[in-house]
Amino acid sequence: MRFTWLFVTAALVAAGRPAAAQISVIPIRDLAFGPVIVGIPTSIGPSHPVRSGQFRLTAPLNSRLRFRLTLPTTLDGPAGAKLPISFSNNDGILVSSAPNSVPELFNPKANQVVQNVSSTTTNVFIGGTVSPAGNQQQGNYTGTITFTVTIF
Amino acid sequence: MRATVLSAVLAAGFSFGAVTLEAQTSADIQATATVLSAVTVTAGNDLQFGNVTPGVAKTVGIADAGAGRFDVIKAATQGVTLSFTLPTDLTSGADNLPIGSWTGGWNTSATPAGATTFTPSPAGTNTTATAGTTISVYVGATVSPAAAQVAGSYTGDVTMSVVYF
Repeated sequence: MRFTWLFVTAALVAAGRPAAAQISVIPIRDLAFGPVIVGIPTSIGPSHPVRSGQFRLTAPLNSRLRFRLTLPTTLDGPAGAKLPISFSNNDGILVSSAPNSVPELFNPKANQVVQNVSSTTTNVFIGGTVSPAGNQQQGNYTGTITFTVTIF
Repeated sequence: MRATVLSAVLAAGFSFGAVTLEAQTSADIQATATVLSAVTVTAGNDLQFGNVTPGVAKTVGIADAGAGRFDVIKAATQGVTLSFTLPTDLTSGADNLPIGSWTGGWNTSATPAGATTFTPSPAGTNTTATAGTTISVYVGATVSPAAAQVAGSYTGDVTMSVVYF
């Protein structure tokens, strides 16, 4: 009898636990500003077809998901040069892969809680603005954007 | 005793479940930008056909003395797109002189000799990414006066826009 209860308890725990393998986040493309001119801010919108950043999130249907983006405030360039980068409240877009899904704007600086009711796959797009100074060091700049998802 | 053990098992089980009810994963992308100096374009020479004869088409090639020229200054190692707004007629008051068959050539040297040829268009032409900091762009075309072309001085604007690609 005791072992029966043990087994039942263990089974309940296992059934209620979402396995980490059930969710995945894949980096699809970088947020690529391309050439920017000294002294001129350049923005890339989250709906830009090739330059916006993109992640693809997969989770079981009806999962409750909390996600956040860890965003840089500067990009790193040659000889320690820094290029300011900023994100507006509408620089994020969520769109399900379900037919007729409607893209939703979100604030990439804030944590988000969503439930994927229509599809197991959601694409997350991000835009931003870089603001080179008038005397900005020329060259290539990079910074890391991290997308973290928790299923609960 | 049995009840005690069962409570312990349940407590351990729920504790274990509470900890693992959340699963987390993450991924990285990069934000990238290339900072460049401003690109400038200045008008060099007008495209000049000189005197033309009614009924006789006249062509100015990119290497001819009458070729139009623009000068571009840009960042090294970065290519640019050359886009044109081109007239279909030169005008003299209410009179039109058809112009077309546009030709172009760009060169990192200030000479049309050895220029890379292209067809000027609104869609734009990319130069190579390693084309130095200065580019000279030469433009030619053909005017086709009608046999009854009204005499006069005909002009039109040729506009070139340059952006990094």
